[in-house]
Amino acid sequence: MKLFQRTIRDLHQMLVDREISSVELTAAVLDQIDAVGDKTKAYLLVTRELALRQAHAADERLRAKRDVRPLTGIPIALKDVLCVTDVASTAGSKILGGFTPPYSATVVERLEAEGAVFLGKTNCDEFAMGSSNENSGYWPVHNPWALDRVPGGSSGGSAAAVASGEAIAALGSDTGGSIRQPAALTGIVGMKPTYGRVSRYGLIAFASSLDQIGPMTRDVVDGALLLQAIAGHDPRDSTSSSRPVPDYLATLADGVKGMRLGVPKEYFVDGMEPAVEQSIRDAIRLLEQQGASIEEVSLPHSDVALPAYYIIAPAEASSNLARYDGTRYGFQAGGGRNIIEEYMLTRQQGFGAEVKRRIMLGTYALSSGYYDAYYLQAQKVRTLIIEDFKQAFKKVDALLGATSPTAAFELGAKTQDPVAMYLNDIITIPANLGNVCGISVPGGLVDGLPIGLQVIAPGFQEEVALRVAYAFEAATEFHNARSPLMGAAA
Amino acid sequence: MPEPESELSSRQVEHVARLARLGITPEEVLRYRDQLRNILHHIEALNRADTSKVPATAHPLEERNIMREDRREPSLPAEAALRNAPSRDDSYFKVKAIQE
Repeated sequence: MKLFQRTIRDLHQMLVDREISSVELTAAVLDQIDAVGDKTKAYLLVTRELALRQAHAADERLRAKRDVRPLTGIPIALKDVLCVTDVASTAGSKILGGFTPPYSATVVERLEAEGAVFLGKTNCDEFAMGSSNENSGYWPVHNPWALDRVPGGSSGGSAAAVASGEAIAALGSDTGGSIRQPAALTGIVGMKPTYGRVSRYGLIAFASSLDQIGPMTRDVVDGALLLQAIAGHDPRDSTSSSRPVPDYLATLADGVKGMRLGVPKEYFVDGMEPAVEQSIRDAIRLLEQQGASIEEVSLPHSDVALPAYYIIAPAEASSNLARYDGTRYGFQAGGGRNIIEEYMLTRQQGFGAEVKRRIMLGTYALSSGYYDAYYLQAQKVRTLIIEDFKQAFKKVDALLGATSPTAAFELGAKTQDPVAMYLNDIITIPANLGNVCGISVPGGLVDGLPIGLQVIAPGFQEEVALRVAYAFEAATEFHNARSPLMGAAA
Repeated sequence: MPEPESELSSRQVEHVARLARLGITPEEVLRYRDQLRNILHHIEALNRADTSKVPATAHPLEERNIMREDRREPSLPAEAALRNAPSRDDSYFKVKAIQE
């Protein structure tokens, strides 16, 4: 097996045993980026020199056996919404062209402290708004399983990098499914932690009451390792929780015997591909065979989650994105006769179509006369969705469903119809609104394209979601399937 | 309160774009009007939920009143904060005229 095809856990052992060095490993991954990067377009920026410098430092640490951590020397990709000091960070937007942050995100500092190696910044939908990565202000990303297909979004670059061997693991961000959906569409594991579990300091904001950073990895063990490194309270983010972080590996292999798993009937939505539904039904049966008891549950307000999200997220975005006015950083149009005109020109030229659409939608929903009908009503619906999950979790330990109703679709298939694009996230959005956690784990191939099984657990019970996902992964071979670009695992 | 069903007009799109400080061409006004109408049409489903006795959720936090000690801590140096400015004058951000 080639180095870039392996998992964090494998590579960690090889690094500790001095079988390989981090410099060798990093060079192997950088070579794979050189080999297939033009096909996937997964990266906006490859930080080759930084990576090799960090790899050298990691090798020193490994040689001296000094503070060797699970991620020491492991090459990782960062979604471009995460700030890294002095490294261009654009959130996939032209309006942040040329911006180099004067500080790093907390998750970035935590990975640095672990001795991880940063490969670069991955492509994404502009300001993380999208489900196909076609809203990137720079270029679309191609799915390593079929280059004419989307990788999902908005963390499509991170997903494609992990699925093509252009990174061993990656960080993404998830506001309505942006980690889980691309993970599903590229055959990897992606987790959205509970809101507050991971610090958002240094994450370029989309919707501040929904955004969470999370791991995108080859398997569930790697997901647990990466989450462990980034989770926990941060005094610089007052929305981060002070709850203690459990040892996620400790309970990972406890199995599902005796667990109660719920299947929300509403998650088998209209428009779901029959083959996706069949795979999910098979996955549920498999977990039942592993000793879980399965019962159908109802989340009665699931049908209004998507409309509530498309008010709340754009409303928060319209406020968050007010800061991009060409004054303090990023792109400035020039040529305006006064400051207002300059703002308008800068934002007209700097933002892409989807971002403008959402800013206008959010501004409208918050504007005088419409606030009660849209924004306030959406916030009340959010309460109902939280209540739905609370009721369900009185009966069951975790919920099961598909991550996305379809496998990866062709580039361009939905770009003309915003509503069709929004429907991709219909079964991932409730977890963001409902303040619970969710993970997508490879659930099989449909016509050669990966699909994901989603496991949702109560807030701050990431260990439960990980445990169910691991039980499924351990009983299947789906996570060992490699994309054609990564090459068959030998 | 206006009925949310009422169709979004081109004038409203122009108004919202102005509120959001977004320059917009006449063609875009029409395109966004039609797209936003379609999106709002789907959002009408919100009214299916009976929320008459339901409080609003603005954020999911369990923590309240996050305080820290009132002591001076290092902050971003002015030069670092200004480094990315497209136009600056000494230690100021430079902008176009605010009043004509």
